[in-house]
Amino acid sequence: MLQKVLALIVVAFFLAKLLWQQRKRRLSWTEFFFWLIFWLLSAVAILMLDDIDKLVARLGFSGSGIEVLLYIGFALLLYFVFRLRLRLEKIDRQLTILVSSMAQQKPLESIQNNKIENK
Amino acid sequence: MKVVCVIPAWNEAKTIVNVVQEVKKYVDEVIVVDDGSEDETGRLARSAGATVLVHTINRGQGAALRTGTEYALNIGADIIVHFDADGQFAAQDIPKVISPVIQGEAEAVFGSRFLGERNNIPFLKKAIVLPLARLFNLVFLGVRVRDPQNGFRALSAQAARQLNWRQDKMAHCSEILWLARLAKINYQEVGVTVHYNNFGQRMSGGWKIISDLFLGRFLK
Repeated sequence: MLQKVLALIVVAFFLAKLLWQQRKRRLSWTEFFFWLIFWLLSAVAILMLDDIDKLVARLGFSGSGIEVLLYIGFALLLYFVFRLRLRLEKIDRQLTILVSSMAQQKPLESIQNNKIENK
Repeated sequence: MKVVCVIPAWNEAKTIVNVVQEVKKYVDEVIVVDDGSEDETGRLARSAGATVLVHTINRGQGAALRTGTEYALNIGADIIVHFDADGQFAAQDIPKVISPVIQGEAEAVFGSRFLGERNNIPFLKKAIVLPLARLFNLVFLGVRVRDPQNGFRALSAQAARQLNWRQDKMAHCSEILWLARLAKINYQEVGVTVHYNNFGQRMSGGWKIISDLFLGRFLK
C-alpha cells in the first residue's frame, strides 16, 4: 500500500510540474496532452495494479503486473528512440540537400586561389 | 567523351595538390568537393587547377560525392570517376577503370583491391573486415563483388543519373552497388592499386554502415 502511495505522489509531482509548464507556455498542446495522458494512465495503472496482476496471469504471463508494465515501457522506449533516430536522419538528409545545392550554385572563386598564389 | 573526376575531400591539405595534379593528366576536369574542411584543402585544390565546390559544413563522403556527381552531370560529363583525396589510389589506373565504359562494355566500373594488382592490404582488413563486408553485401543486398568498400569507380552519365544514392556517410559504397543491382546496370570490377597510408575503415565503421543502411530503409 505504501509503495502505491509513494508512486502516486511521484505521479502527482510530475502532473503538477506539467500543469505548471503549460501555464508558463513552455509546452505545445500536443506535448502537453501526450504527457497528461501518459501520467494519468500511469496513475490508473498504479490504482489498478491488482486487477492488472490478475489480467496478466489470465493472459499466461508468469511475471507480476508491474513487471509486464515495465517490459511494455521498455519496448515503448526503444520504439521512441528508433522514431527519434529516424527523425534525426531525415533532418540530416534535408540539411545535406541544402548544403549540396549551396555548394553547386557557387564554386570556389578563382580570386581566392590568386590570394594563395600571391602569398 | 568528357571525363570528369569527382574527389571528395575533408582536411586533405597534405595530399590534395598532388592528387589533383596527378588526376588532371587523365581526365578533362577535376571537381574537388571540400566537405567542410578546417584546413586549406579547398584553396589548395583550386590552386592545383580543380573546380572546387564547398560544403559549408561536413556532410560525409557519400554526400560530397553526390554533390560532385550532380555538378559533373550539369556540366555535361559523359563519364564520372570517383576518386579519393588521401592519395591511396593511383591516378594511372584511371584509363583502365574508364575503359569498359568508353568501349560500351559496362555502365559502371568498380575498383577492386583483389583483382590482379598487388596491394599491401593490412592483414586484419584482408582477413576479417573485407570478407565480412563482402558477405554482408551478398546476403543482405544481393551484390556479389570482391571489394564492396572501394571508392574508386567510373560511371557513365546514364548510370550516374540512375544511381540516386542517399547515404551521406560511408554506407554509400554498399548503397551504390545495391542500387546498381536494382537498376540492372551492367557493371564490371577492375583491379586497382591501393597504397595504404592508414588502416582506414574499421569494424566499428562496418557496424555504422550496417546501421545507416538499416535506418535508410525506413526513409523515403
